Amino acid sequence: MPEIIEVCPLEDLKPGEMRLVEWEDLEIGVFNCGGSLYAIEDRCSHDNGPLAEGEFDPESCTVECPRHGSLFDLKTGNPKTLPAYAPVDTFPVIIEDETIKLEVE
Amino acid sequence: MAVVENQKLREINADYEQRYGFHDAENYLYKAPKGLSREIVEKISEFKSEPRWMREFRLKALEHFLARPQPTWGSPLLAEVDYDDIHYFVRASEKAGRSWDEVPEDVKRTFDRLGIPEAERKFLAGVGAQYESEVVYHQVREDLEKQGVIFVDMDSGLREHEDIVKQYFATVIPPNDNKLAALNSAVWSGGSFVYVPEGVHVEMPLQAYFRINTENMGQFERTLIIAEPGSYVHYVEGCTAPTYSSSSLHSAVVELIAKPGARIRYTTVQNWSQNVFNLVTKRAVAYEEATVEWVDCNLGSRLTMKYPSVYLLGERAHGEILSIAFAGRGQHQDAGGKIIHAAPNTTSNIFAKSISKDGGRGSYRGLLEIAKGAHGARSKVVCDALLLDEESRSDTYPTIRISEDDVNVGHEATVSKVGEDQLFYLMSHGIPEDEASKLIVNGFIEPITKELPMEYAVEMNRLIELQMEGSIG
Repeated sequence: MPEIIEVCPLEDLKPGEMRLVEWEDLEIGVFNCGGSLYAIEDRCSHDNGPLAEGEFDPESCTVECPRHGSLFDLKTGNPKTLPAYAPVDTFPVIIEDETIKLEVE
Repeated sequence: MAVVENQKLREINADYEQRYGFHDAENYLYKAPKGLSREIVEKISEFKSEPRWMREFRLKALEHFLARPQPTWGSPLLAEVDYDDIHYFVRASEKAGRSWDEVPEDVKRTFDRLGIPEAERKFLAGVGAQYESEVVYHQVREDLEKQGVIFVDMDSGLREHEDIVKQYFATVIPPNDNKLAALNSAVWSGGSFVYVPEGVHVEMPLQAYFRINTENMGQFERTLIIAEPGSYVHYVEGCTAPTYSSSSLHSAVVELIAKPGARIRYTTVQNWSQNVFNLVTKRAVAYEEATVEWVDCNLGSRLTMKYPSVYLLGERAHGEILSIAFAGRGQHQDAGGKIIHAAPNTTSNIFAKSISKDGGRGSYRGLLEIAKGAHGARSKVVCDALLLDEESRSDTYPTIRISEDDVNVGHEATVSKVGEDQLFYLMSHGIPEDEASKLIVNGFIEPITKELPMEYAVEMNRLIELQMEGSIG
């Protein structure tokens, strides 16, 4: 069953910013790409290292893995460059009562 | 006939010093001081009048390079690399000529000595010749140009086809992939840009020849090959350098992209002198039903660390790595290959052979990965090592990761010594001992040399002969 978790008030995640949230044993990065919000698992599919704190480009809506440089599309979770070839998990973002929430499972 | 053949072989036993180890006087337009800095990187970009995005790409890569520690795996010889003792950019000529007459006389003489213009006339569809940091000569056959084939040096590729370059550059090997890829991304210069349009078959090979002349030189070429659907291209590269007592560094990045149904074959005959550290990142992607083949022959250098890889991203894609390494006195050849099966029904082969002699060390380092969902994948890995004496060394570091049940994977490894009984058998037929050793070595590598174009197979056999005499480098 999907579960809804709260991230933060909408005004606390401005365009170009990222916030990490924890849910059970998962870490999830929530990104604001020019007003659109996306969430991906904080784990590079190449070698399982942390991903969300890599360089975030709000314009192209991508994040670069800090370990080996794979670039991930935040909208789809798909890698745009090697060495990663598998997508990372993405999570639906819901805005309710001026609060950012995630649907997790 | 055999006597004539043997005589010929003896005649070509001129040593590396004479054939490749010579150097020209330095008559350069620009030679950067030793060491790497933001200023040097900016200067390279400025010299080339690059777009802003490339300049920023270089500077960001420089930060990655400086932030990463030197790798500690691979070879203890890596500790000898002194990044502060290298010239990162040397310009020998104003621009890349399209006829040999446009190439500066002394540089042209070098390539004449190496036989490049002659080879171009005889059997190549196009040639690029890089001297120090930049390409001094580039030509492709007119009929291929008319079909839309692009074969230019990478600097011209960026200038003339910026849209294509921007779309694919560093998508296969990002600058942060590893320390040496970051270094190349910061200071890259020269290399080839090849684009083959859909359905076009380039029947004759394209060749690039890389030559280092300066002492303590760093050569950082960047090659990008894009084969559109259903196309074919064979790219061949050769490399040599003068013999100096201090080190030079060669660190290339090569990216291959084979679209659905395309085939790319990439052949290397690496024959650097023994003062060169050869630390190269080569990687390919193969989409649906595409094929990528690396044929990688490593004879020269002080240390080579090179593991060409193929990412099989589309169903029924095929990857092939054929690798020969010959390690003589003072040399470490750490070579191998990586294949990643990331789609169903993909197939691959890795055949690696190493020969160690006079205390040389040959290592096979490989990765075979089969991802979850790549059902029906089939792969065979064979690595054989031949030790010619008691002081030499061979190591094998195979890694196999399989995350799918329905696959077929085979792995074989052998290490053999040239045995007394083999030598005795041949010598009892009147063959002298050194000739007998050569015959055994030639038989050992024959499955790979037969995959080379004839002219290169001949060259390869000559080089092996030289190595057997202990005279390379």
